[in-house]
Amino acid sequence: MPPRPLSSLSVIVLGMGAVIVAPAFASSGAPKAHAARVLNVRDEGRLHYVKSSGEQIIDEGHATGSFAGWVKVRFLYNGEPTVSARFTIYGSGGSVSARGTARLSSPTSPSPSFHGSMTITGGSGRYAHIHGAGELYGVYYRRSYALTVQAIGKLPY
Amino acid sequence: MLVACACLPAGADAAATAKMSAVFTPEHLGAPTTVSFGFQLDQAGLDPAPLTGVELAYPSNLGLATSDLGVSACPPAQLEALGPDGCPPNSHMGNGNAIVQIAFGADLVKETVQLALLAGPSPNGYLHLLVYARGKFPVEADVIMTAELLRGHLAITVPPIPSLPAAPYVAVTEMHLTLGGHLTYYEIVNGRRVAYHPVGVGLPSTCPRGGFRFAATFLLLDGERASSQAAVACPKRH
Repeated sequence: MPPRPLSSLSVIVLGMGAVIVAPAFASSGAPKAHAARVLNVRDEGRLHYVKSSGEQIIDEGHATGSFAGWVKVRFLYNGEPTVSARFTIYGSGGSVSARGTARLSSPTSPSPSFHGSMTITGGSGRYAHIHGAGELYGVYYRRSYALTVQAIGKLPY
Repeated sequence: MLVACACLPAGADAAATAKMSAVFTPEHLGAPTTVSFGFQLDQAGLDPAPLTGVELAYPSNLGLATSDLGVSACPPAQLEALGPDGCPPNSHMGNGNAIVQIAFGADLVKETVQLALLAGPSPNGYLHLLVYARGKFPVEADVIMTAELLRGHLAITVPPIPSLPAAPYVAVTEMHLTLGGHLTYYEIVNGRRVAYHPVGVGLPSTCPRGGFRFAATFLLLDGERASSQAAVACPKRH
């Protein structure tokens, strides 16, 4: 998105949870800058099992929340207390990819929960320049290999 | 079902030698299976030294942790007091048997022991297993072995097993363990308790060159070690 000179600091909340924060410029001769837009993600995905390969499970499903779309997750649990995941949310206007690590609690529970952090690894479309980090919560259902994943973060793009 | 076994002594002057085997049943890449391990310790001509531990290395991409086995934990005190039947059904992960040697005077007597494999409580975030051994004749004894599952590694601790008064500890010479198999678990569906069979351990969708490699090191009370390796060959493509 090209820089937009504005007469004052503007904050526009978009329907998808994006926030635009652009600096003011006194005149057209002022230095140009990208508008700092922020995607305020607070999404939950209820994902079903697609396939697995040993310690890796691939799930997909709908994400609901501030950045709704379709989620694909590669979840890795190898017996260590820390699990890892790579996921992509495909929303309208583009996709956002991230990786995360989280600490699994109660591994012998039928549905161990996990909590950790995520880091954005890339995006496409209007989110091609997205970056940042956030928090990752989830539950792993050992019977069905399903996942419930929550991602929370304020991500500049 | 293909099994390859290579047996290696711990060193050139090692007194103990070991053999191991590993089997997947069935063998379909990308699908669940049962995993069976077999160990055999040979200390021929010697007073067998008791086994104190087994360090088992398994292919790290095997889905032991992601399996649907052991979705409940059995407290060790409960297992000790009531046996495996006193544990939650969903904590049962497999079974097996072992052969132990017991010294009766100058004779060594063999005893077959039944094993039950259960999920134990996790104090540190790692998966913990309990191996319950019950022998009936000539020595009646219940023993609980503990195991910790790390990535690509299962560490089994074997406690000293007393036999007759003033006699040496019981020595484990063979062990066969199967993870998975015909187990019945229960879940609550719409308020009703419904039985189901867990599917077992997930095999990766690709087979490593040379097959799925396993290795084991056996730790003996006298400080000796013996090592062995095995590989499950890659399944043939249909």
